[in-house]
Order: sequence, then structure tokens, then C-alpha cells
Amino acid sequence: MKTDETQLKRASDAALTSLLNLTILPVIGFIALLLIYRKTRPGDIDRYHALLGIQINIIAAAVLFLVSTLMILLGGFDSPWTWVYVITYFTLVHTVFIVFALWALVRAWSGDKLKQA
Amino acid sequence: MKYESQSIAKLYFIAAIGLFVGQILFGVILGLQYVMGDFLFPEIPFNVARMVHTNLLIVWLLFGFMGAAYYLVPEESERELYSPKLAILMFWIFLVAGALTILGYLLVPYATLAEITMNDLLPTMGREFLEQPTITKIGIVIVALAFIFNIGMTILTGRKTVISLVLLTGLVGLAVFFLFSFYNPENLVLDKYFWWFVVHLWVEGVWELIMASLLAFVLIKVTGVDREVIEKWLYIIIAMALISGLIGTGHHFFWIGTPDYWQWLGSIFSALEPIPFFMMTLFAFNVVNKRRREHPNKAATLWALGTAVMAFLGAGVWGFLHTLAPVNFYTHGTQITAAHGHMAFYGAYVMVVLTMISYSMPIMRGQQAANAKAQIVEMWSFWLMTVSMVFITLFLTGAGILQVYLQRYSDTPISFMETQSKVEMFYWMREIAGLVFLIGLIVYIVSFFVKGEEVKMAEAE
Amino acid sequence: MRETFTKGMARNIYYGGSVFFFLVLIGLTVDTVESLPKTDNRENLTEEVAAGKRLWEINDCIGCHTLLGEGAYFAPELGNVYTRFGESTEAIKGFIKSRPVDGIPGRRSMPQFNFTDQELEEIAQFLKYADGIKIARDWPPNIQG
Repeated sequence: MKTDETQLKRASDAALTSLLNLTILPVIGFIALLLIYRKTRPGDIDRYHALLGIQINIIAAAVLFLVSTLMILLGGFDSPWTWVYVITYFTLVHTVFIVFALWALVRAWSGDKLKQA
Repeated sequence: MKYESQSIAKLYFIAAIGLFVGQILFGVILGLQYVMGDFLFPEIPFNVARMVHTNLLIVWLLFGFMGAAYYLVPEESERELYSPKLAILMFWIFLVAGALTILGYLLVPYATLAEITMNDLLPTMGREFLEQPTITKIGIVIVALAFIFNIGMTILTGRKTVISLVLLTGLVGLAVFFLFSFYNPENLVLDKYFWWFVVHLWVEGVWELIMASLLAFVLIKVTGVDREVIEKWLYIIIAMALISGLIGTGHHFFWIGTPDYWQWLGSIFSALEPIPFFMMTLFAFNVVNKRRREHPNKAATLWALGTAVMAFLGAGVWGFLHTLAPVNFYTHGTQITAAHGHMAFYGAYVMVVLTMISYSMPIMRGQQAANAKAQIVEMWSFWLMTVSMVFITLFLTGAGILQVYLQRYSDTPISFMETQSKVEMFYWMREIAGLVFLIGLIVYIVSFFVKGEEVKMAEAE
Repeated sequence: MRETFTKGMARNIYYGGSVFFFLVLIGLTVDTVESLPKTDNRENLTEEVAAGKRLWEINDCIGCHTLLGEGAYFAPELGNVYTRFGESTEAIKGFIKSRPVDGIPGRRSMPQFNFTDQELEEIAQFLKYADGIKIARDWPPNIQG
């Protein structure tokens, strides 16, 4: 069961704004994503991808900023080891989220959910 | 296999894998020398082992690219290779020249090698990655010209596709920019500036064209996605590679005595360099998602996806990490560079060659794909090598950050050698990850010999 | 959007973009080469320095050391070694000359190259010349290289 063009377009836009929020347009991308979400209806593919994007970004923000902040608080700002952990961790985990959002975008383009229906 | 002459690729691929093993063995030796400074000293000092490690990498990747071209071009051009005999002859010349050069590094002191090969007549030796004796460099040029002639004639007299033309452009660029290796002025700044015309314009320029075209070829084959779609992606990826990468050369001109404007140009354009790799991931994901067939070679698909992701991670993200001038001021020439170098070379170039081998080797051995058991073993080797390379990169990054802090950032900086002893733990962990990589490579080779029932495409085409 | 963006447009971006930026790179290269005399310390590039550079090359010093941050990361940066060794070519020569033939147990050690006095002088002069190159922001960040 394929969805109509507007929904497909909106699902793609949602996945794209989610990816933008993770990369070059933090915050702005998220606001755009929320605006797209408001136009969607429950059960549709565009709602699915908007929600997925929101989830990815909230989890990413939590996992990236909370953990990094904790590392800095526990390790101390002036300790080299803090930066060893924070920079390595942030770079790797951030990329994992980006790659995941890329896959979500590709799935949105084809009008699919993450898992095969 | 559609054309008889494609099978020449097999010869090149076997040599490539053999030299790959040598490269990794020397990598393990180097890793050990980082923690046991006197290991094999003075018989094989660090600089000699490193030369062998990096030169073997370059040579086997070139074997891989040539093999890939010999496989791809006849199929794309829909004709036999222009001259299979020339291809075989060049194979042996290149192999013998390469082997002699490596033996030269190992058997006599480098200065003696320079003397024997009459470096004085045209001094080109002793610069990083371009350590080959001048005569070997001339040999490389001859082999490259014969190769491009052979490939070029095949393409130009056959069907011309975007993939084969992009590949040809990349290969011609490779040969042309290598000519800068013969320019070695006494002026150190000039020397360094034009040295990058080989090194940067290879790995962050024309090699990306080769890589993208090989990836596009394999993706067409395993996914059955429309050629028009793939070609559009290919054009836009290589466009971004060159638009960002050409002026992106400037990120090497921050601290070698070149004008200040490079700080801006190098930072801005090299910040764009992740884009082509980002798009390559999007491209690979997209066509695999929209695949029109279930190709029995799952391993090749895994390698193709892995190439895209790891190239983005290693070349894109880890490059961006230290490419902005204010950051690079602190990180230039530290273990951060080593971390980036390892994952970028593995993710982009090693993996794309292995993708091509994974796809074509079973076909050259008379099957559509390797048997299911062999593919499982091959996928194990994929994960072992890829995950251990991620860890090598993480440990070197850790070492690099600590090094930057202790030696350059701190208010009370300590000396290079003192810093090295403080980061030793990371070097031990890197060495362990290196050994896992070696195991992965052995598993990879084993995968070619695993027997089992043949697998076929579900639907005949 | 993806329907209106054709392969022809992608191809034109590729050709146009790469030709344009290649020309820009050539232009910038001409400008860089013309302005190098201000920074590259060529006034001190004597024959002795040139001979030192050749020795630097044929002994593959770059296989362990960095020079202006480029090379291997196994041994110290040498672009500022002249400053670090108290602006003394004698100290540099003394260090190279004193390396033990069989290395140092358990530690990294520079090989003993058995240079003549003349060769030692040439290498030291080359490193002094390299130290005189004017680098942006006086890289490296401090004397430790």
C-alpha cells in the first residue's frame, strides 16, 4: 500500500530536516521538523518519519550532550583525559546517529518504514 | 564473465592481496616498535619498516585499481581488452619492479640504495610516500602509460559509458599528477608545496573519481538499479569531490611557509570535503534500498555499503575533525593525523578494492557468487577488519588528543619523547587491534578456499 | 525536485566546477610561488644547505621525524630543532654523532649514520635554514614542536 505524493514529499522533508538538525542546522532543523510534524496525521507515513526524526534527535541530543557534560563534570575541565574521552566519544557517536538518519532518509524517499512492512 | 580478457584482473587481484598481507605484517612490526623501541633495531629501523608499510599500500592499491579497470572496462565497453598481452606484460614488470624496490629498502641501507640507483642524477628519493628510487618512479610512469593506453583504446573504440569515462579521467589524473614526484627543488617550501600535488591531488582528488566509479559499477551490478539514476549520482559526487578537494589542498598549506590566505581557503574548502563522502553513503544506501534484484553475492553488497560508510567516517568525519586552521594549529603532525590516515585509506581505498574483488572474483572463477559458507567467512573478515580499524583509529585519536594537550596545549608543555611515554597505553591497545586486523585478513584469504554449494540468482535475467 | 534535476545538469556541474576550481588552484599557485621570497628563507639557501637537504633525503629522515609537521610521528619535530637546541649547530651535530650503533635497550633510538664532519655540518645547516622559514602564527605552538 503506497502513500500519496504529498505524504511522500512530507515524509522526505521530515527525514531531511532531521538529518540537517544533526549536521549543519542544529535547532533550526528541529524547529522545521516540528512544523512538519504538525501537518501530519496519525498512521500516515509522514507522521511516522516526522516522529522517527524527532525521536532520533532527542535521543542524539541526550546521548551526546548529557554524556559529554557528565564526562566534563566528572573528569574536570582541565584534565587532558576528559578531552580524550569527550572528543573521541562525541565524534564517533555523532557519526553513528548521522548514518542512521541517512538510512531513515533513504527509507522515507521510498515511502517505507524502517523495517520492511 | 562476459569477455575473456576480463580474467586478467584475477592476476592483479592476487598480487594485490599478497602485497596487502606484507603491508599489514609491517604495520604490526611498526606498532610494536612504537612500544618496544629497540625491536628489530638496527636491522629494520622504524623508517625502513614504515617505508615498506606505506609503499606496499600504494603499490597494492595500484594493482587493485588496475585489476578493477581490466575487469570493468571490457564489460562497460562491450568489447575485449585492446591488448591482453600488454596487460600481462605490464603486470610482471610492475610486480618485479615493486618487489625489487621493497627488497632494496630491506636489504641495503637507504643511502646505499640511493647510490646504487644513481639518485644524484635526478634526486627524487627520501620524501614521504615518494621514497622509491628514481628509476622505479620512471618504471611506474611507463607502466601507468601502457596501462592507460590499453584501457583508453578499449574505452574509446567501444561503448562509452559515464562510469568508464570517469574511471579513465581518474586514472589519467593519477598518472599526470604523479609527474610532480620528479620535481624536487632545493627550496624546502617549494618542495613541500608541490609534493602535495601528488599526495593530496591523488587521495583527495583523482582517486575519489576512481573510487566513485568502481563503487557505481558494483552497485549497478548487485542492485540492478537503472543506470541513468546511478550516473546522475556519480556526476554529482565527483563534482563535489573536485569542487571541495582542489582548493581543499590548502589545508596542507597552513604551516609550511605559504601565504596566510591559505588558512581561510584551506579551512573553508576542506570543511566541504566530507560532502562527497556523505553523498556516497546516501547514494549507496539509496540504490541498495531501491534494488531491483536480490543478487546472490551478499558479501559484495556488504563491502559496497561498508566502503561508503567507512569512507565517510574515516575521510569525511576524521578529516573534518582536524582540518580547520585553528584546530590544525595544535593537531598538525600528531597521532591525530595518523588516526585519520589509517581509517581514510582503509575506508575509501582498501575497501573499494575489496568490494571490486568480492564482486568479480567469484565470476572469474566461474560462479555468480561465492558459496554461502564462503560468503559467511568473508563477512566475518569484513567485520574483523573494519571493527579493528575503527579501534585502531579511536586509540590513535586518544593518543593524539593526549599528545596535543601535554606537548602543545598545556601551560607547562613536556617534550616529544616524554609525551610518547605518557601515551604508551594507547599504542599497546592499537597494537592489539592491529593483530585483530591481521587475523581478519587471514580469515579473508581463507574465505577464497571455503567449499560449499553454489548459490544462484533467484530469477534468471 | 529529483525529477527536475537531470543528469545533464549534474554533468555540467562536474565539468564546470572542476575546470573552474582547477584554474583557481593554478592562479593561487602562481601567486603563492611569487610571494614565497618573503617567507621561505631563500637568502640563506646556500650550497651547504642544499647538500644537507640531499643528505636528509637519502637517509630517509622523514621516515621517523616530522619537518614542519609533515613526515612520520615516531621522533621529534625538526623544523624548530635549531631553536630547541639553543640555536647551536654544534649541539645538533653532537646529538647525531653520539647515537649508539646498537641502539638503546627497550627504547627508541636514532640510528648511527657515521656521517663525516662535513656532512654533519651540512645537515645542521639545513636544519638551521628550515628553522628560519617564516611560518604563519609561528607554528609550532611552542618549543617542544
